[in-house]
Amino acid sequence: MSPRGGGTEGLLPRSTSYGALVGLVADALMRRNVGWRWYAAFGVTLAMTLMLAGCVTWLFLRGLGIFGNNTAVVWGFPIANYVWWIGIGNAGTFISAALLLTRQPWRAAINRFAEVMTIFAVAIAGLFPILHLGRPEYAYWLAPYPNVMGLWPQWRSALVWDFAAIISYLIFSLLFWYLGLIPDMATLRDRARTRLGQVAYGVLAMGWRGSARHWQLHDAVYRALAVMALPLVVSVHSVAAMDFSASPMPGWQETIFPPYFVVGALFSGFGMVIVLTALVRLGLGLQAVITPRHFEVMGKIVLACSIGMGLSYATEWFYAWSLGSRAELVHLHKLFGGEYTPLYLTMLACNLLAPQILWIPQARRNILVVVCVAIVLNVGMWLERILIIWNTLSHGHLPSMWSVFWPSIFDWLVLAGSLGFFAMMFLCFARLLPAVAMHDLGKLLRERRKES
Amino acid sequence: MTALLLAEFRDPETLIAAARRAREAGWKGLDAHTPFAVPELVEALGLPPARIRPIMLGAGVAAAVLTFALCWYSAVISYPLNLGGRPLNSWPTFLVLCFEAGVLAAALAGFVAFFAFSGLPRLHHPLFAARDFDRASQDAFFLAVQDPKVDAGRLALLLDGLGPVSVREVAQ
Amino acid sequence: MTPLLGRRQAALGLLASALTLTSCGEPEEEILPYVNKPDGLTPGVSQRFATSLPMGGYARGVLATTYEGRPVKLEGNPRHPASQGATDLFTEAAILSLYDPDRSRSLRREGRVDTWERFEAALLPRLAAAEANGGEGLRLLTGHLTSPTLLRLIGALRERFPAMHWHVYEPVAETAARRGAELAFGTPLTVLPRLQRARVILTLDADPLGPGPEQIRHNRAFAAIRTARRDNPGGLARLYAVEPVFSNTGAKADHRLALAPAGLRDFAVALAVRLGADLPVPALPEPAARFLDAVAQDLQAARGAALVLAGPWAPPEMQALVHWINDRLEAPVDHLPPPSGQPEDLAALAGALRGGAMDTLVIIDANPAYDAPADLDFAGALRDTDAFTVHLGPWRGETGALCRWHLPQHHPLEDWADLRASDGTASIAQPLIRPLYATRSAAWLLGLMRGRLSLESYAAVRETWAAQWPAESFEATWRRVLHDGVVPDSAATPLPRPAARAPALPPAPEAGLTLLLRPDPTVWDGRHANNPWLQECPKPLTRQVWGNAALMAPAEAERHGLREGDVVQLHAGGRMLEAPVLPLPGMAPGVAMLSLGYGRRQAGAIGNDLGANAYALRRQDALWELPGLRLVPAGRREEILRLQEMHRLEGEAQELLPERAFTDLLEHPLEPEPEEPPASIFKPLEPDAPVAWGMVIDTTLCTGCNACVVACQAENNVPVVGPGDVAKGRDMHWLRIDTYWHGPEAQPRPGFQPVPCMHCEAAPCEPVCPVAASVHDAEGLNVQVYNRCIGTRFCQGNCPYKVRRFNFHGYADGQEYANQGEPIVAAHYNPDVTVRGRGVMEKCTYCVQRISAARRQAEKEDRPIAEGEVRTACQSACPAQAIQFGDLRKAEAAVSRLRHEPQHYALLGHLGTRPRTTYLAQVRNPNPALEEPEA
Repeated sequence: MSPRGGGTEGLLPRSTSYGALVGLVADALMRRNVGWRWYAAFGVTLAMTLMLAGCVTWLFLRGLGIFGNNTAVVWGFPIANYVWWIGIGNAGTFISAALLLTRQPWRAAINRFAEVMTIFAVAIAGLFPILHLGRPEYAYWLAPYPNVMGLWPQWRSALVWDFAAIISYLIFSLLFWYLGLIPDMATLRDRARTRLGQVAYGVLAMGWRGSARHWQLHDAVYRALAVMALPLVVSVHSVAAMDFSASPMPGWQETIFPPYFVVGALFSGFGMVIVLTALVRLGLGLQAVITPRHFEVMGKIVLACSIGMGLSYATEWFYAWSLGSRAELVHLHKLFGGEYTPLYLTMLACNLLAPQILWIPQARRNILVVVCVAIVLNVGMWLERILIIWNTLSHGHLPSMWSVFWPSIFDWLVLAGSLGFFAMMFLCFARLLPAVAMHDLGKLLRERRKES
Repeated sequence: MTALLLAEFRDPETLIAAARRAREAGWKGLDAHTPFAVPELVEALGLPPARIRPIMLGAGVAAAVLTFALCWYSAVISYPLNLGGRPLNSWPTFLVLCFEAGVLAAALAGFVAFFAFSGLPRLHHPLFAARDFDRASQDAFFLAVQDPKVDAGRLALLLDGLGPVSVREVAQ
Repeated sequence: MTPLLGRRQAALGLLASALTLTSCGEPEEEILPYVNKPDGLTPGVSQRFATSLPMGGYARGVLATTYEGRPVKLEGNPRHPASQGATDLFTEAAILSLYDPDRSRSLRREGRVDTWERFEAALLPRLAAAEANGGEGLRLLTGHLTSPTLLRLIGALRERFPAMHWHVYEPVAETAARRGAELAFGTPLTVLPRLQRARVILTLDADPLGPGPEQIRHNRAFAAIRTARRDNPGGLARLYAVEPVFSNTGAKADHRLALAPAGLRDFAVALAVRLGADLPVPALPEPAARFLDAVAQDLQAARGAALVLAGPWAPPEMQALVHWINDRLEAPVDHLPPPSGQPEDLAALAGALRGGAMDTLVIIDANPAYDAPADLDFAGALRDTDAFTVHLGPWRGETGALCRWHLPQHHPLEDWADLRASDGTASIAQPLIRPLYATRSAAWLLGLMRGRLSLESYAAVRETWAAQWPAESFEATWRRVLHDGVVPDSAATPLPRPAARAPALPPAPEAGLTLLLRPDPTVWDGRHANNPWLQECPKPLTRQVWGNAALMAPAEAERHGLREGDVVQLHAGGRMLEAPVLPLPGMAPGVAMLSLGYGRRQAGAIGNDLGANAYALRRQDALWELPGLRLVPAGRREEILRLQEMHRLEGEAQELLPERAFTDLLEHPLEPEPEEPPASIFKPLEPDAPVAWGMVIDTTLCTGCNACVVACQAENNVPVVGPGDVAKGRDMHWLRIDTYWHGPEAQPRPGFQPVPCMHCEAAPCEPVCPVAASVHDAEGLNVQVYNRCIGTRFCQGNCPYKVRRFNFHGYADGQEYANQGEPIVAAHYNPDVTVRGRGVMEKCTYCVQRISAARRQAEKEDRPIAEGEVRTACQSACPAQAIQFGDLRKAEAAVSRLRHEPQHYALLGHLGTRPRTTYLAQVRNPNPALEEPEA
């Protein structure tokens, strides 16, 4: 998207200096005292995290039966949560990499915590496929390792692809994020007043001296990673889509699924980024570098994704109708006339209707509006994930095995717990590491000075 | 032991100019320290190209090939099983794993190569002792010269007009 | 599977030995091998014994499989006329009742544990005293008895006590039938319909194919005349059903007419008039009149092979009327001499209890305190009497709890006995296991009363037959009879066809809403209530489990503003009972139906407090039919647990269970599914073994009796999940009987479709398993490797047939339902089958353990596996032989031939799964005169 006026327009304070920018970000960590809000938030999210731990313990004691899954609807919340979280996890690295390659000036302020969001989200997403196993203690059987039985994973299974994709993506994102973090660690090392801070950040900085040679190598690797990140991101959610589309079940067996899932991932991912951006901006007082313009451009992307989603849904319906197979038609009929129809309509409203307000420029520039849309669409996206599972498994090929899914209390607690866990980790990050890439801000300032 | 000289600037542009001059003067041991990447310095200081990407490519391809070999061996030779009548060598399904493995290996290789080439991690370096060098990671831009035939005087002379904030020798 | 066989066998070995220990009650501390191994017993190799099980007093011959003296599976005895090699669900479930933890283990006096010596000390003096007045005041209550030995012992007892009263009570009795026969023929003959000789059958509220002592015989006979094959000369017999409730027979009828009792009676009378009876002609409304015309014509045309049947619940006059009609039609019916010695009924006993005209009551294996008609208030009488009451039974139950003494009785599988089948064939039941507890037999008690201490049932049975067989060859005969399971030519010889008297007009039932009571298809009269297999076995048509419900036509329910699950008060005869409502299409207007056998209070951990106790409404004058029913909504709801909703197949959905008329079957065969795999650039991997197992299920023959479902459960160690998990939509049956409804709402035609695993050649479940726990073996089986499964459930998610079952909890692994975790229950496990742990997927294996047993045998004898050598549990259970299993590579194998029948089809074949289990569509033989154009 081409920024109006100068590329850096409205991204930085009118008059500022390299030092000021650094201070702006670093002081949020080092000087200002935390305040009760942070502690309150941390306490709540910690409690939710402990609740999650409790549920997982109970799950391992009592078995998968504590969830609502039944004979026909063998998948439920855990899988939906997994797809949802991995979708969110897709946006961070994508934003950082894609905007880097397309030289988007507004990347500077948001790429760091977007990447962090990715790492946490993917880590949480990775938990769910394991939690949903009947015998989670054997999850490692998905990895090829020498064993006396001479057994191997079954390479044709989309779950094995998933396993590989999640792990590669998680490690990759960590590397990408840490590489970008090193110069900022040096900055914090040099600004740290306490010995502990100097040592801790010093070690993480690995002796970075900002030498021209360092920067040259850093750039080379970082950009190379960015180039690889894009197909990787696409592959990760395409694989998640294949968990469904590589099957003969009505409503799943559709070639549209991989792209449809990728769009959905960016959709929910950007939604989450918008929410986090607002929180970081407020919590760390970064109004100076995180500006309405950031929300405006992200709003545009969300809008584009929403249209993409609309196209995907329409394609689904058209497939079902044009294939004309009985099961597909039943599935289509159940979407609009089944037990889950109210949820389905809610989902359509959240994902297709709500974002349309962003056509209005004023709305786009209004942070509150954009954030609300983002929250709504993330609810919608979660509904979409669960409905993909429910609608197909509840109305399979044989009417005799149709059944409705009733979530158990644990389904809800685990979902809530995962949100709390995510929030808690993010709070810690905001306290300990620079939420904004300071060296990127520096570059941005230099660009602006060149422009003028 | 040749002295290490530092000239401090307030903005990257003057640093670049200084670097050019120093290079045209044919000085050796030039380097710069900046809070953020200044791409022009590569050419200004005449740094050798970074040969990292070929390594990443190599690692990626190798990993992909190995992964395919693993899938093929385990599915066709080591433990062949009839799974829904699919052919033992269902290579299209193996490719996904090859891709993931390739990307991962390339990324790791690049990461390792970066540290190898940049001589990091190195937690102790004489520069850190230099006064105000801590601003090299914030808002100061340093030109570093380490050349037997250069001393602080000549450096100051060279930089005449560029208005360095300071020119000093780093204690070794 | 092959590479894993070794480990699997090892595991099974361990399991087997472990279970043997728990079952035979030896000390668990130390395990010792046999010191002297019994002859002919190889540990781990099963033995089979012939024996018999009673139902309503009649015998069903079974072959029992035992391991180290531990019976684990019952199958039909081919030599026995009442089982003919097949079983019913009650037979299959008997194994679990043997190991029921709630069985009575100790003798009790006033509820406190006591000793046999003290009991004898208490009883014998009373008997001695009673001798003085010839046993006046001594009364004996039993269920319906056919056992020659018990009858002989009772006879002997009567010699000692001439004035003793013997009462017999069965909740599901044939009293009405006998009285009807008496009205028709003067003597209460036993009337045996021979379905296999019939061409046209009309059932008047009869359910020959439904549960009962004769179910297997009738199913086999019916299958014989309803097998639709390309080369079937005779074509199909035709079945008409006129009934108020929806019975299994009605489900299989070509034409069914739902009539309330009043209409039914008019219909029967009108039919009789058509055949020349001198009775006033009742006015028949449409469509009954049209129906009658067609039926009457058909019946008369098929004179000699036309058969009309009335149910045991029909009033005697109706029975007599039917006898007369059959007489006119020269129907294929055998008349057997009536049983000798008519015992008294329960009412007399209740009277005596109240009148105090008795001092000693001995109840043998009956439970009147629960299942007596409410107006007798037998429980009350038993509680209030100060007589010396004794109850002998395998379960203490409601009656045992009210008697002064309760004596634990052997389980039928632990006891020597002899029984007769309905056709009089005698069989000797031998025990399969040493009694698990300190129990005694009925023979012992009768002997004791006779004054003969410690009479063993073994001795008693031998004495009975020693009197019948020549002494010199007795031992040889005895051995042969035990081996065969039947006494050769002991069947009663049919009498020459007796002339039936001109019928009287059956009493006209009261108009208005009527409540009909019927035996329950899974717990019968309540005696099986504590059997979890039967409780979790979906009832035919409703597919309800773990309870009963008031069934009525949807229109009827609507008229009373009732929806499924609404609890309604059933007011009848001044009594009230609450039961949930379940609308069932095809029920006659003006009737509601409630099955017996629920609402038990002292059945045990499984059967207590389930459903509504229909006996609370039952009256002596209205055992089956309660007129003047009032329905009052109770204002609350109760979830009705069902494993399948009612699904009507319309339009394209009929491809799931197609229907064809036999006449146009050859003209319009179902389009055959492509045998070849769908085109692909990849060459599919084909199983390469010399055998290719396959199964063909004939939905025309399946009557939905559920024998296969329970047989599968027994053979494959399938656990129950309990009502709680059923409510969550979970169950573990490897084989289910899908029930779909054809035809218009008014004239529904249900169809039964047993669905085991399809063992697809291109199984969707296999490529998606990340750990290769679901794989194909060389013989084409889709096998599940339990110890490799990590429980992703991807396979079930991908299975179009949803035949896989997941252990959400440790249903057999530490989280068993109710008391199913007690060690003794584990004794029923089949040692050849792994007991699955929590978190693994399981499914039908085509009884792979039987296949590998046959393979090992064949390899030992260095020959290929013979056709019919491997019989799956469901196949050998099926009384209609609707399930065929065999080697598809053999052209002459039954499965191969069936696959070429015109009505052969593959379920969801269009998906390209190429299932090994395929179906024969439903074939009907409708009467053109009655075929209404399908709406």
